[in-house]
Amino acid sequence: MHIMEGFLPWQWCIVWWLIALPFLIMGILELRAMMRKDREYLPLLGVCGAFIFILSALKLPSVTGSCSHPTGTGLSTMCFGVFITSIVGAIVLLFQALLLAHGGLSTMGANMVSMAIGGPIAGYVVYRLLKDTKVNIYVTVFLVTAVADLVTYVITSFELALAYPAQVGGILASFEAFFAIFAITQVPLAIVEGCILALVFKYIVQLKPEILEKMNVFSNEQIEKARMAQELVSPAEV
Amino acid sequence: MIRNWTLELITVIAVLAFIGIFLMVSAGGTHEFSGSDDVGSQKIAELTGVSVNSIQPLIPQYIPPSGEIESSLFALQASFGGLILGLVFGYWVGQAGGKIIT
Repeated sequence: MHIMEGFLPWQWCIVWWLIALPFLIMGILELRAMMRKDREYLPLLGVCGAFIFILSALKLPSVTGSCSHPTGTGLSTMCFGVFITSIVGAIVLLFQALLLAHGGLSTMGANMVSMAIGGPIAGYVVYRLLKDTKVNIYVTVFLVTAVADLVTYVITSFELALAYPAQVGGILASFEAFFAIFAITQVPLAIVEGCILALVFKYIVQLKPEILEKMNVFSNEQIEKARMAQELVSPAEV
Repeated sequence: MIRNWTLELITVIAVLAFIGIFLMVSAGGTHEFSGSDDVGSQKIAELTGVSVNSIQPLIPQYIPPSGEIESSLFALQASFGGLILGLVFGYWVGQAGGKIIT
């Protein structure tokens, strides 16, 4: 999903950086406020960040005969919101731009807007829509994660289409072409990523339900219901 | 008590299906399995006539000198994540008195 260094005209680099900067500033402010309030949240932030680090390093083969990587931003989006997720995503993108030539500093604004901001915003909308409903919380985690992943690649397609409109058909034709490359490749990856992060969320529910309740990621009733569902009473015990 | 393994089972099925699709696609043609970023870059050339080779970095950047070094750096990135993950989950399990289920 990373747009390589030099692949965007400088005007577009500035535009995407200007869009990304307010999110980074808000993220830093939220992070500072959170650390002053309660440092108990930091291990969970570490887990969310760790998954972005791990999943965005895995280039996996897909149905289109090319490889791509998951983004892992869904978990952080649900637990910490879009602004703090933008900071964690930016750290990963900076690491990859500086050490791996995967992305670049000039295109980092565009890559942040797709992976660390746009995808998480879409995931957050899904989360808010499903949060206080009767939908199983693991289904919610799956959908948030998969949507955040897929929308990241839709936005990348849009960014490239704006910078490189097709000679015939313009921006729309270009968007369709990039969308076909990125989004179709990403569908199976998004499904697997959704399953894995739903499973990880189950282990967090088992180990640290009080943090999730304190942060109001889901309601106490939803967390308790999920914990109860993890243990089936055997017929002999009934 | 017996544990509910539904999510684990679904995840294993999803991963196996993913591997199965990969094997089918890989057996069905000559795919390079290059990065979608590279495929996207080729598409830029197709759509606009701009040669990918003519694109120069706006800001000079370090490029890993070989694919091996690049893959080791990717592994380093994943290992950072794994390290933090193991540390935090270990810390939580320790706090729970070593029990996985509280």
